[in-house]
Amino acid sequence: MRARAVAPAIMLAVPLLAAVLGPLLAGAVTAADGPPYAPAGGSYPLGTDGLGRDVLGVLLRGGGSTLVVAIGAVAVAYLLGGAAGLIAASARRRAVDEALLRPLDILLAVPSLLLISVVAVWWRAEAWAIGLIVAVLHAPATARLVRAAALDAASGPVAEALALQGEPWWRIQLGYVRRAVLRPVAADVGTRVTAAVYLIASVNFLGLGLDPTSADWAVAIAHNRGALLLQPWSVLAPAAMIVLFTVGLNLLWDTMTDSTAAR
Amino acid sequence: MRYAAQRAGIGVLQLGVLLVLVFALSEALPGDAAYVRFGEQATLDDIGALRTRLGLDAPAYERFLSWAGGLFTGDLGASLVSGAPVAETLTRALPVTLVLTVVTLLIVVPLAGVIGTVAGLREGSRLDRALSTLTLSLQSIPDFVLAIALITVFALQLRWLPATAIGADATTLLTAPALLVLPVLVLLARTTCLLGRQVRAGVIGALHSEYVAHARRLGLPRHVILLRHVLPNAVVPAVQELARVGDGLLGGVLVVEAVFAIPGVATEVVDAVQARDVPVVQSLVLLLGAAALLINLAADLAAHRLVPRTETRR
Repeated sequence: MRARAVAPAIMLAVPLLAAVLGPLLAGAVTAADGPPYAPAGGSYPLGTDGLGRDVLGVLLRGGGSTLVVAIGAVAVAYLLGGAAGLIAASARRRAVDEALLRPLDILLAVPSLLLISVVAVWWRAEAWAIGLIVAVLHAPATARLVRAAALDAASGPVAEALALQGEPWWRIQLGYVRRAVLRPVAADVGTRVTAAVYLIASVNFLGLGLDPTSADWAVAIAHNRGALLLQPWSVLAPAAMIVLFTVGLNLLWDTMTDSTAAR
Repeated sequence: MRYAAQRAGIGVLQLGVLLVLVFALSEALPGDAAYVRFGEQATLDDIGALRTRLGLDAPAYERFLSWAGGLFTGDLGASLVSGAPVAETLTRALPVTLVLTVVTLLIVVPLAGVIGTVAGLREGSRLDRALSTLTLSLQSIPDFVLAIALITVFALQLRWLPATAIGADATTLLTAPALLVLPVLVLLARTTCLLGRQVRAGVIGALHSEYVAHARRLGLPRHVILLRHVLPNAVVPAVQELARVGDGLLGGVLVVEAVFAIPGVATEVVDAVQARDVPVVQSLVLLLGAAALLINLAADLAAHRLVPRTETRR
């Protein structure tokens, strides 16, 4: 790892650790609810928010519904899109290829935040449901990427020879075509997770996603926005967590893909 | 020409699917218009009577046809909450959103073009690396966080600019540009970075190409190479990126209008979604979706016009 990657990695680690380990620590570290917007200090190192909750507790509890859900959504998007892309790339008939990918283009054209805000009305307050919509929204792009990356390998002589030898379809894909796909996918994952975090946080901030009393970072920002000057930590701390994650991830991915690129 | 016709055909098809999608989505919402209007205390008889009156007991395909038919004759339906026609809401809210987006686009295109070209021409220099890190970081900051940061510094601390544009309409936005500064800055940040990075990549790609090497061997002056050969080719991916910027801009408008309390189309959508005001949601989402399709179509046609070879690459 390059020296240039150290700072972004640290930026990324702070919110990620808070999101993953935070819920386990929250019970032991945080104080009981107090008066709303209590200043930082005493038993509340970062003060309290508008509901009287310990801001530190919100930080430790509210990361999963953004970061973990976003990472899960991208994983599901790659499962769905990857399967569609591989099938499309290895299809012998062009019609199968077209029939699989053309309809997905329509999803690509619809403004994502708009669609998610309408669909989120069904499953209000369900983090997994928001994640699922984000996954579906990202699936067309991942399908295109995987198809484009796999096309040469999946229709080339090696794949054909393997098929003639009687190798099953899935073993050709996972054993051989995978190698061609892995690198473009790895380059794409970073920006895609950032985009997913961005989308999920925006939906929750707008009040179209999770319940307004949830500990989610974006919900907390929206909720405490009016008291920015009164109790700055209640807004700045969760905002810093989201920004550290998205900026750290993008910078880290940029340096990594830079160093792997054969320029 | 063949490409244009084909692409427009796909556009029409996409619009059709969008129509069905929007209708199906609002069909799937729990509770229909009759429930929404009566609220909790309605009796089943009341609801049944209202349903008949609103035509809600007709089969889904009949309602779809009458809704879609209404759209084409300019009838966008009426709000369940206020009873106001959607068209009326639109004539009030649309100009506000248009002012926001058009002003942003007018600044974004030249700004991103200059930043991308300057960085691309000096690939690997300190300036290029600094611009790269800056644009990458700025593009990763969510709109709403940036908006809150700008409001805190410039509106609440320094008191240079207003924190909200509450109650504004299109004319007040244009006559009092101070209202526009912070919202447009927020919309600019991400779009400029996305587009600028694309222009930079395009310029670098063109500079490394064989036709530019050939033009150099012919001894063409630098500015001719840049203007005639590098930029037109660098602009193509950027134009297609602009379509995606349009999508990001629509999302950004949702956030910016909410944070700055600007009474535009996005505010109406968010309010309607929260109130489950189905006809308003249907018409507005369809309109914004159609706008996005149109932007995509225009971008593809423009890219094709600039470099016709994209036709064969599909």
